[in-house]
Amino acid sequence: MPLAGTRDIAELVAESASMPDVKTEPWTLKDVSILQVMYEIRQGAMLSLLPSSLGPTIPPTLVFTVIAAHESEIGPFTVAEVRVGCRAGARPRSFLARAYTDSPAAAEALATRWGYPIGLADVRLRPGYDRVRLEVKLDGKPILEAAMLNPEAISGSDVQWLPNVHLARIQRDGVEIARIIQVDPDFIYHKADRGKPELTSFDADAWRLAGAEPWWPVSASHVKADMTLPRIRFVLDPSKPAVAGVERVG
Amino acid sequence: MKFGLFYELSVPRPWGENEYKVYHRALEQVRLADELGFDQVWAVEHHFLEEYSHCSAPELFLTACAAQTKNIRVGRGIVVCVPEFTHPIKIAEQAGVLDIISNGRLEFGTGRSATWTELGGFGVDPDETKKTWDEITRVLPKMWTQERFGYQGRCFSMPERAILPKPIQKPHPPMWVAVTSPGTELDAADRGMGSLGLTFGTFADQETKIAEYRRRIRYCEPVGEVVNEQVNTVSFLYCHEDDEVGTKTGLRISGTFNYLAEQLLAARQAYPSRSYPNLGLLPNLRRQSQAVDEVSVPEGLSVGNPDRIITAIKKWESVGVDRINFLLNALEIVPQEDVLKSMRLFAKEVMPHFKGSTVQVGPRMSMPMHADVAAGGL
Repeated sequence: MPLAGTRDIAELVAESASMPDVKTEPWTLKDVSILQVMYEIRQGAMLSLLPSSLGPTIPPTLVFTVIAAHESEIGPFTVAEVRVGCRAGARPRSFLARAYTDSPAAAEALATRWGYPIGLADVRLRPGYDRVRLEVKLDGKPILEAAMLNPEAISGSDVQWLPNVHLARIQRDGVEIARIIQVDPDFIYHKADRGKPELTSFDADAWRLAGAEPWWPVSASHVKADMTLPRIRFVLDPSKPAVAGVERVG
Repeated sequence: MKFGLFYELSVPRPWGENEYKVYHRALEQVRLADELGFDQVWAVEHHFLEEYSHCSAPELFLTACAAQTKNIRVGRGIVVCVPEFTHPIKIAEQAGVLDIISNGRLEFGTGRSATWTELGGFGVDPDETKKTWDEITRVLPKMWTQERFGYQGRCFSMPERAILPKPIQKPHPPMWVAVTSPGTELDAADRGMGSLGLTFGTFADQETKIAEYRRRIRYCEPVGEVVNEQVNTVSFLYCHEDDEVGTKTGLRISGTFNYLAEQLLAARQAYPSRSYPNLGLLPNLRRQSQAVDEVSVPEGLSVGNPDRIITAIKKWESVGVDRINFLLNALEIVPQEDVLKSMRLFAKEVMPHFKGSTVQVGPRMSMPMHADVAAGGL
């Protein structure tokens, strides 16, 4: 049968977000700018990056994403994510071990309402006509620098991004338990570009992805879109295979 | 209605020992299929698709099939018509050899690959594949039928050379298009090629698509020298006297197959491109062959007892399908002896309800045995 992750999740659970209630309301962010860069990773570490309830894609990938929300009810903010392409049973997903944002209010909202494992950092998305760059600095040190070069217009309908899954602690009968939370945003695309991916700096430890070695560029895309973070529909018991551990919310 | 086998050749870990078993069990199934009166055996071309498909050299597998059988036709399902995979000259040459070895039993399916796993592995620009498929399918019949062939094209060029050997079917083997994305059946119709359906779909979906295919092909500009107006679909087969055993086992096969398929990286998931407007075969297989609940059988699957399977195939027949190809196993979850029993039961109880009722649709290919071969010479 397909391969499964081998990651000991104790450390991730310990620093994961605590969610008071998984029954959250949707949150629509208008006219966000999103850059996504995908690389294949060397296969030596592909199992050690994922919990045992998830499996790697063939080939294994990392997805670098920055989302810039210029307007929101909590003010402007920018979020950076590095996710491991994976499968939950037969479902295409991407596993987020650590995210960063430049806004304490956004960190609070994303952690408590959607369980994001998120910290504060300097996160920038710098659009240009020749390239779109993303930069993330933690305590002044670059932990991620990537770009999309030579943007060319494509249709938003050509873009397909994978839903997030990440570990969080949720309440169940008065007890806090670990669950993998699935967040599958909806997008309404206004503009989309595709270009050549470039990765110039990546600190795997800072993203809780020790051993991940992105080495083969795949694609880069940049969109303007309305993005809705939805109600959480499913969580997954990380101690079980995905086909047996899925729990419907509500 | 004609029946066939369809091979992805999925192999459970550990591969070394199991690859040998899977290949040789498949050959045993093909020999039995030939004896039982199945009409065709198809093999995919896939590369790097761990467990899901270890069928990377189908021309060799099918050559073995041809050498070990007498009547069953051998189908490339499909040849990836992308030069980085195989140069068009070699595609034409391999087809010529296989048609000779099989004594004119080659069916020639064409396609372009739908996974980043494969396209990325060969360094292919996903934007290009539909264009290269179109160009290569137009030149292949000329390579087969012209004594010498020269070409200045978009994805390749060559000075005049004799591309050898030539297929023995005249004017050339029947050509098909792998249909996974919506609308590709119309590409097949417009080019006068057969529709080699690789997704399940509902009867209603298929009926509409087949009707439009039949309408469009009447106005086609054939890429070859003959029109191949036929519709081929694919299903899972597990036939058992006990309906519950048959359906449960069949659904295990389809579930395992779909689970494997989803571990791959579809082109669209990795590389945004207009060339891949949907995810292709893999999610379609998953969605359309999943049971609504644990006890129901998805529409059109050939699993269960003979009566249930006859009903499903009659329905396929009624919506215009000419041929059905069956996947027999996945990851070897069903023991070989049970697979062979299922084939025998199908041949005994189901085939007689369809043999002889074949409706000839459209012009058919002439498939003469080469005179020298017939005479035992050469």
